[in-house]
Amino acid sequence: MLRAMLRDLRAHLGRVAMTLAAIVLGVAFVVATWVVSDSAAATVSSGSYRTDLAAVVESRPKTTTDREIPVEVVARLAALPGVTRAEGVREGYAALIGTSGKIGTTSFAETAGTDWDDSQRFALTSGRGPQRTGEIALEAQAAAEAGLTVGDPARVLLGGDRSDTATVVGVFTYRATGWEFDPAVAFDADTATRLLRDRDLPPTAVTGFARIELSGADERAVVAAATAALGAGFRVESGSDLREKQAENARSDGDVIRKALLAFAAVALLAGVFVIANTFTMLVTQRTRQFALLRAVGARRAQVRRAVLTEAVVLGLVGSTLGVAMGVGLGLLAMRLLPVVGEVAYVVSPWAVLLGYAVGVIVTIVAAYGSARRAARVSPMAALRTDATVPRRSLVLRTVVGLLAIGAGAAMVAVTSPEDLTEPKRILAMAGAVLAWFGVLLTAPILVSAVLAPLTRLLRKPRPVTRIALRNAVRDPRRTAATSSALMIGLSLVCAFSTVGQTLSTETTAQISSAVPENAVVLRAAAFGTLDDTAGAAARAVPEVTALAAPRSGGVEVVAANGRSSDTEFTSLDPAAVGSAIRPRITSGGSDLRRGVMLAQRVGTELGVKTGDQVRLRFPVEGDSPATVEVPVTVVGLHEGSDLLRGQLVDDALVPSGVYRYGDSMYAVGADASVLRGALERAFASRPDVLVQDREQLLDDLLEPYQLVLGLVYVLLGAAVVIAVFGVVNTLALSVLERTRELGVFRALGASRALVRQTVRRESVVISLYGGVLGIGVGVLLGGVMQYVILANPVFGMSVPWLTAGVALLGMGLVGVLAALWPARRAARADILAAIATE
Amino acid sequence: MTNFDAAVSAEDLTKRYGSGDALVTALDAVTVAFGRGELTAIMGPSGSGKSTLMHCLAGLDTPTAGRVWLDGSRHGDAGRVELSGLRDDALTALRRDRMGFVFQAFNLLPTLTAWENITLPLDLAGRRPDQSFADTVIDAVGLRNRLHHRPAQLSGGQQQRVACARALISRPDVVFADEPTGALDSRAGAEVLGFLRRSVDELAQTVVMVTHDPVAASYADRVLFLADGKIVDELREPSADRVLDRIRSLESAARGTRTVGVGA
Repeated sequence: MLRAMLRDLRAHLGRVAMTLAAIVLGVAFVVATWVVSDSAAATVSSGSYRTDLAAVVESRPKTTTDREIPVEVVARLAALPGVTRAEGVREGYAALIGTSGKIGTTSFAETAGTDWDDSQRFALTSGRGPQRTGEIALEAQAAAEAGLTVGDPARVLLGGDRSDTATVVGVFTYRATGWEFDPAVAFDADTATRLLRDRDLPPTAVTGFARIELSGADERAVVAAATAALGAGFRVESGSDLREKQAENARSDGDVIRKALLAFAAVALLAGVFVIANTFTMLVTQRTRQFALLRAVGARRAQVRRAVLTEAVVLGLVGSTLGVAMGVGLGLLAMRLLPVVGEVAYVVSPWAVLLGYAVGVIVTIVAAYGSARRAARVSPMAALRTDATVPRRSLVLRTVVGLLAIGAGAAMVAVTSPEDLTEPKRILAMAGAVLAWFGVLLTAPILVSAVLAPLTRLLRKPRPVTRIALRNAVRDPRRTAATSSALMIGLSLVCAFSTVGQTLSTETTAQISSAVPENAVVLRAAAFGTLDDTAGAAARAVPEVTALAAPRSGGVEVVAANGRSSDTEFTSLDPAAVGSAIRPRITSGGSDLRRGVMLAQRVGTELGVKTGDQVRLRFPVEGDSPATVEVPVTVVGLHEGSDLLRGQLVDDALVPSGVYRYGDSMYAVGADASVLRGALERAFASRPDVLVQDREQLLDDLLEPYQLVLGLVYVLLGAAVVIAVFGVVNTLALSVLERTRELGVFRALGASRALVRQTVRRESVVISLYGGVLGIGVGVLLGGVMQYVILANPVFGMSVPWLTAGVALLGMGLVGVLAALWPARRAARADILAAIATE
Repeated sequence: MTNFDAAVSAEDLTKRYGSGDALVTALDAVTVAFGRGELTAIMGPSGSGKSTLMHCLAGLDTPTAGRVWLDGSRHGDAGRVELSGLRDDALTALRRDRMGFVFQAFNLLPTLTAWENITLPLDLAGRRPDQSFADTVIDAVGLRNRLHHRPAQLSGGQQQRVACARALISRPDVVFADEPTGALDSRAGAEVLGFLRRSVDELAQTVVMVTHDPVAASYADRVLFLADGKIVDELREPSADRVLDRIRSLESAARGTRTVGVGA
């Protein structure tokens, strides 16, 4: 019995190869993902543990500005018993100035400068450590971003508005401890003492150490001694605690990476399940007569079923083995290609291998189970018929469940509303969308007949090629559905993310375009920093500037006359610039800040405050003891808040002194935009920390992160699409094999080879386009719900990503043509004589 | 051979398979002509080469040697075409426009309706069916109220009648029928044969039919007997009994070397 089956398998090596390929691809992607996440996690944490630390001392600051340790503390600590070495570490503002004359974004500039020492903090990758003034060493990634190597002159922006030029003598990688950020620039100790300080400290200020690192054989003794010596103003942490904290961080970083990657692997796997199940079903369908013969000569149903399942296990094992090997290879290759500076760890855990086998074998068995049951139900009589078919499963249950899922999903979204979108409601709406998405997968076979069948009638006089192609596509709706569903899975997610991205970018563009005049010049803090007061003064000093909006935000509590209050934000700016250099989106009232405050619409609604009402603004004032200052003010209008103008808009002059506020952008207008820009560029030429841009550049900068994330998402979902494309090839190739006889007759009756090829190609294009249309449609709707959940826009308020949709549809057409290449050739070669021979 | 008006003729048609010890001669220098407006039956035991002969005549198989002509009066003098040496596309067009086929296993395209199956050869050529002729054919096969059914919804006899209509719709120079009744019960078989007969009588159609059934052969104007790749006998105005007698005498001549099979 088994021997007969295995012989049969061997006789159809082509078909077996296709099933195997489907399993291999699915398994390979999962295993590759696991290997990449293991390796990435290991890379994040590898080689960065310092063994030379017994303890680290930091000051326990009363305020954010007073956190440095006086220099003399080092000598006190060095003298403690058990301490073999005490090293003060300096930190200060430092940023490499790139070729554009502006600072880069790789490092956190506030702490990016440090002093060189020979501890394990630094690991040189080239050159040597800095020894005297005029020499610096750079962190590898920062050096790469600035395009600098050993021997180059480098300009560094420093605290106190100074800059320094030095020669790069070394490039290093850094071993951070605890929560420390990697520095970008290291000076020798003397130069560091002279140059490094917080950004706003004057050059003459006396500075101390950010922390003191202690070495010593007995960690506990060192910690105890330091704690006793220093008292309550300091925090002493042991080296092993810090290492543990760091390992913990690395693990959770690795987990985040793994979870994100596995989510994509799950999507690819789902597409893979469809392809494997579909291929297996076809493999069984094509051997109907074989099973009937076995039954006719006395095989019991259970025997047939067992034989098919055994076959699945064998195929699953072989496919998994190949898939695991390929996945490990792909994963290691991906790690190699990743743009990681420094050492990369390659990890292949037993879990990756086990998971690969589990996925491959279980998915294959699950996919084969239905086929096996149906194979066993083949009547022995079928052996005597030439057109025998495997009994089909009814689609009724599947369709009903699918429609229920769609209905329930839609209802779950519908019961929530944008006005009142609490966290549980967001989750409910998203779950509804996912449920409906699965519902579409379930109803896909019915949809095939419902959508494609009328198409044959819609086309008035379809050429025989088109007609036969369409008919072939709908003749087994389940098969076509499975094939196009695999395509739909990846494609719908691509389109969903694209819709969210498009909506975000449309909203951002609309916000910026309405708030910032087209001819405004935008001054922005580089490297995610903030603008200080001198930047504003410098801009105002430029005579070409007719109005300057320098919005600065902080926290405020708005108290209404009815007693209700809201903890929110304020943004202060020059009233003269409102309407000229920046334009709030007014929803009611006016915008004259000289006469009062503009409340954010949301806050106005929440507090029940209208234009003309009185409110009190309760500002927090910084100082040794927390205090608030209340300012009564009239509401002159309401506006729709935006990222540029957050919260309540007030006159600069209205904000009491001592209230913390910060801003990162300014908007200037003048009589002639290009003259103005030239003047501002000159004025800020010596300010590497301020970018001079126009509105378009501002938009590009704001949208870039979305584009990067979307690009990555597309690449990862691409794997699911690749697997699905393979599924199309598989389906077509097997369909062609199944129709050998029919194709032969078609040829005998006078269809040329070109016509046969064309028929197969059209069928392929129909299936692919169907998957494409379904994927894009479902994806845009899913994206609509996603942007609703994220932004609380109306569900149908999404922006449709026409470009992505168009490209996807074209791509699917192309996929159809390419997937048909080989099957079409094969079909055209169909042997007429063999086909029409009766046996 | 007589010098009558032939729709299809062949000269020294030879077909060999394999080589060396395994060499099989399926057709051995057969020269034959099929009269226009006649129903000719080809009979012979299994392996006698009757199917190979038909496949070579229809341009489905390439002979090892010899020539085949198709001579269509409907196409004037230019209608005389020699098949050997034609490329695949030319042969395909010839089959589509000037030949019709009826197979034992019906071989309808399962996704097309009866009507679409019938008009497929015209569709492939990009021609519209001549409605009055189509009506004639459809009424003759009695499928008027089955036109929009799929093959799976038709009985075997109905399917074979669709196949006959499909073979006739393009008014081909010749219809080749390969065991047209092989898969049918006797009543359905009689219907199909009656229809082929009427197409000859009423539409002046030329039909070449391979069969092993003496009753089917009795519908023919002329029966050719093949054995070992050669035409060994011929009978005009056959009846089932005369065909059977002739088979028996051929059988006794060949006794001891082979048995006459009735299978295709």
